[in-house]
Amino acid sequence: MNRRQEPDPSDSEIEAIVANAIAAEAALARREATPPSSAIVWWRAQLRARQEAARAADRPITIVHTLAIACAAGLSLSLIGTAIAAVRGSSGWLVDVYRSLTAAAAPLVSIDLTSRWVTLPMTAMLISALVASVAAYVIFIDE
Amino acid sequence: MADATFLDVRRLQANADTADVALAMDEDAFRAFYDRTAGALWGYLSRISGDRQVADDLLQESYYRLLKASVTFASEAHRRNYLYRIATNLVRDARRSPRPLFDAGFDMATMAAPQSPVDVEGRADVRRAFTQLKPRERALLWLAYAQGSSHSEIAEVLGLKTGSIKLLLFRARRRLAATLQR
Repeated sequence: MNRRQEPDPSDSEIEAIVANAIAAEAALARREATPPSSAIVWWRAQLRARQEAARAADRPITIVHTLAIACAAGLSLSLIGTAIAAVRGSSGWLVDVYRSLTAAAAPLVSIDLTSRWVTLPMTAMLISALVASVAAYVIFIDE
Repeated sequence: MADATFLDVRRLQANADTADVALAMDEDAFRAFYDRTAGALWGYLSRISGDRQVADDLLQESYYRLLKASVTFASEAHRRNYLYRIATNLVRDARRSPRPLFDAGFDMATMAAPQSPVDVEGRADVRRAFTQLKPRERALLWLAYAQGSSHSEIAEVLGLKTGSIKLLLFRARRRLAATLQR
């Protein structure tokens, strides 16, 4: 059995079908559209633009901070390196100083530690050192 | 020049915090333009993206980008076309984002309560047919038949050549009509 085929619609018919369908859909979209009020959108835009401006203003400060920290770290490392090199270079001088100090301290070995003229000042020095340590600790804890 | 006191500095900082930032339009002009265009743009976004929530989000983003744009508009139509171009690009970007926005659910069928059973069937057909189209075809057809845009305006919005619009529209119409008749 031959099935009768409907002729293809012409371009103008297709355009009419499509135009009608989309026009109906557009009318529906207009009815259901509930965009926020212009005042709210304006206010949000202002707020966001302000936040973005603040972030943009903070960015150079952050970069400068980072650079400053990097420079300080580099400087510290170079100073430490220089100091280490200087100490290594002058180690012979340090040995000389040590020897002269031990030679100078030799008479002290013969001091009588049981004498009150020796024990009293040494006790006072120890107590002072202890008090100074506790005071320094309290100061730094407060800070 | 007088020295600024601490209070003066505080006052200036407070003024800077509350002062309007530089945007492309003043408030009155923006609000008038928004009131004229927001409903239609929402319709465009919702039908192109197929998602109400996305349309809500992208609507605000579109206007914000328009406000931040450093473009001098020759006319209201030029500004509107620029706005639609921003919106089209935002939909395209959202489609490429990791979060699947489109075509998975395409909630157009639940967008509004139709009035009669005939409406239900007809509208559902249109929406189903729309989902079968490519996003660019949806945009083309919507701009042409819902917005009444000219070929040059469509080309400006979609970033295409004006000469190619006629053929692209012809193909999009054919596809939509074929889907509607299926």
